[in-house]
Amino acid sequence: MLFKKLFQLLVLGGAMVGTASGCATPGQAQAAADNKPEDRDGGSSPDGGTAKAQDADGGAAADAGGGVVGW
Amino acid sequence: MDAVQRAAGEAWAFRARVEREAASRFARLAAAIPAFDPASPVPALLRRAAADEDRHAALCAGLSASYGCPGGGGATDVRITPRSLGPRDAVLYEVVAACCITETESVATLATLLGEQAEPRVRTVLREIARDEVVHGRMGWAHLAREAAVRDVSFLAAWVPSMLAGTVEEGLFPAGEPGPDELLRHGVLPGPRKKEIFVRTLDEVVLPGLEKLGVSAAPARAWISQRIS
Repeated sequence: MLFKKLFQLLVLGGAMVGTASGCATPGQAQAAADNKPEDRDGGSSPDGGTAKAQDADGGAAADAGGGVVGW
Repeated sequence: MDAVQRAAGEAWAFRARVEREAASRFARLAAAIPAFDPASPVPALLRRAAADEDRHAALCAGLSASYGCPGGGGATDVRITPRSLGPRDAVLYEVVAACCITETESVATLATLLGEQAEPRVRTVLREIARDEVVHGRMGWAHLAREAAVRDVSFLAAWVPSMLAGTVEEGLFPAGEPGPDELLRHGVLPGPRKKEIFVRTLDEVVLPGLEKLGVSAAPARAWISQRIS
């Protein structure tokens, strides 16, 4: 019951909040996608944080993604 | 200080640090979204969430101090996104990891803890944080829904296992760290209970939500089954 309620409250409620306002356009999406990844300061993982970065296979590949530790 | 008090203090100190990091992350994401989605309501929610998280950090630090544990140290705004992603995809990745997964899991944890007999001072903090975390989870689903409405977001599916691997603490799988039920009075889930809540929230909330919005859950389900079989 808790989980069904959470789905409605968070997922469906959130989707409603997101799509109630005017939408982004595919054109805006394309313009943003055209920016090169190197243009931003992403992917670094300074020490001392709780977030953890690792690649999809659990190894040390350069293109690593991570997650955010919570409660 | 007994073992339960120490474990509770460490858990609340850790949460204080998590909340401070969330504040930094939300402020940064709020500044990034208008570049490609100026009509989005999500940046305003993220800015408010950043302020909420600072307040939560103080509440958590206060509890950790009451258990005799220092406040959790400084926080770092850790970038978690793969380098190969462009700016818009990177924002989406981070919002899904931080909100759709982590904040959603936090709401489930808080709801579970509030169903237990926590000490009054702990219950007061849990209740205040839970109220805000619902909004924090929602804003992730709001952003994903907006993006899914205008473009293909299926690329995320392959990355969800990385997000999950970075979300769980060492030791949660396969058995979960043991812990006395007495921890519940102090607002902390014993390991096996934490694992159960984590997996059920994924199975019944997060993954169905991702699928509903165009992100296959198959890689994530494979990741989970490898760890609980």
